Amino acid sequence: MKTFFLTALLLITVTVFAQDKPLSLDESGKLIFYEVVDLKTVPRDSLRQRLDIFLKAEGKALKVKSKASDSILQAAGKTIIRKTALVLSRPSGEVLYNFYAELRAGKYRFWLTDFNFIPYERDRYGNFIPATSIGVPLERKPGKLNAGEWDAYVKATTKDVNAFAARFKTAMQQSSPLQPVLKAVPVISTKKW
Amino acid sequence: MKLKSALTIAALSLASVSYAQEAAKVAPLEISGSVDTYFKYDFAKVPNIATSFASDQNSISIGMIDLALKKTTGKASFVGELSFGPRGQAGSLVPQGAESFHIQNLYASYAFTDKFSMTAGFMGTFIGYEVISPVANFNYSTSYLFSAGPFQNAGIKGSYAFTDKVSLMVGLFDDWNVYTDVNGVSHIGAQLTVSPVEGWTAYLNVLSGKSAGAVGVGTIMDLTTSYQVTEKVKIGLNAADYTIGNSGGGYSGAALYLQNAFSPAVSLGVRGEYFSTKDKVNGAANLNVVPGESVTAVTLSANIKSGGLTFIPEVRFDNGSADMFAKSNLLPTKSASQFSLALVYAF
Repeated sequence: MKTFFLTALLLITVTVFAQDKPLSLDESGKLIFYEVVDLKTVPRDSLRQRLDIFLKAEGKALKVKSKASDSILQAAGKTIIRKTALVLSRPSGEVLYNFYAELRAGKYRFWLTDFNFIPYERDRYGNFIPATSIGVPLERKPGKLNAGEWDAYVKATTKDVNAFAARFKTAMQQSSPLQPVLKAVPVISTKKW
Repeated sequence: MKLKSALTIAALSLASVSYAQEAAKVAPLEISGSVDTYFKYDFAKVPNIATSFASDQNSISIGMIDLALKKTTGKASFVGELSFGPRGQAGSLVPQGAESFHIQNLYASYAFTDKFSMTAGFMGTFIGYEVISPVANFNYSTSYLFSAGPFQNAGIKGSYAFTDKVSLMVGLFDDWNVYTDVNGVSHIGAQLTVSPVEGWTAYLNVLSGKSAGAVGVGTIMDLTTSYQVTEKVKIGLNAADYTIGNSGGGYSGAALYLQNAFSPAVSLGVRGEYFSTKDKVNGAANLNVVPGESVTAVTLSANIKSGGLTFIPEVRFDNGSADMFAKSNLLPTKSASQFSLALVYAF
């Protein structure tokens, strides 16, 4: 019994504190999140349809830049890095990235790369806005003075990229467009009592 | 017993994580701010250069503690920003009574569409390059154009974005730097924002109206622009002209900003400025620059950052067209110089 509870506790802990898949370095030294996914029974046209639905669902968060070829799609995205403490939060900056997806019959691959950090500054109206228009590549070492902050930016980006990848893979597994789930609102009948 | 405790802790952890995930879906209350402190030394050993805020001579002095709250709920949002300390109080607003604080921003906004929004309240001015908060300025001492122009405007304004590159703001405003306008809502202002290329933004500003007690209508025309040339190099420009009708004086000037980031932690920047006052007969002296005279100022600053902290060593040289500064023996002179060390922490 004791062993059972200990095992359960261990599983719970592992689940809750599961590590995100870290960003890797590609051949050119850039940080990259790369995955190949097999969907053996799904034809390429269906994958293309699911990809379009995903892009539409992401809305303004993901802007399609170009279709480098018929099979590779490129889109630009960004994630906001926030400093959070309890219910308080403020944005520190944003990380811009490029998202690529390539489809083939029965499988697809996708990768996120070109991560550039743009710090935010507070403007005269108390709003946080980008301090510059040209970002710093996330793989660049910032030096000792800002190493701690930079590590936090990389961790936050890794977390958001993993969440994005999970959303994308879920969307690519859907055989039909996701329908919003309508919750049944409980109604109390006053006629029967 | 130990097992029971462990399970309880695990359950609590799970609950906390779940709660955090729910909370993240709601736009959180944003809290931010800054504190700043400085040491300034004028080489004539007397306070000379009429820069805003950092005015104490040979003293380790405080700027302000600044606290800002922002909340967005759907299309509505508010900003409330309050500062305590010399920089936020008498340094930027005529003291009204015995208050020990100063409101930097207090306004509410509503975005009717993605392109059109309206804002009302007390806001940082839309005129000029530099601002009151030391966090958004590269140089710690402020320019003549900043000190001579408005700091804040209470009013109501509407902003419309024609495209991603062009937008227009038009508004009705009170007199400069007051919570209450005793002669009614007396000013009209507008700002045309243009972003011709990536990294380059230009603001064309105008604010016109008759302030309480003024001899004529005052109109300020202002161009503020900045261009991020490369990852390291940034150029900024501020040019302004202010004229008060009925020979009431005014000023004009321009300031050029050049900054180079040697690394994410270390930047160096120089500000060169020309400032002149108008109307030799009726105009009033502005920042020690007597009517009809001018001053040229060069300020060299470094920004050394570590986390939220920025260390700003700075040296500044001002040279007037006439005697407008004092030597150490208090005799008048045309030039003045100072250095300062400032610490600014933003959170």
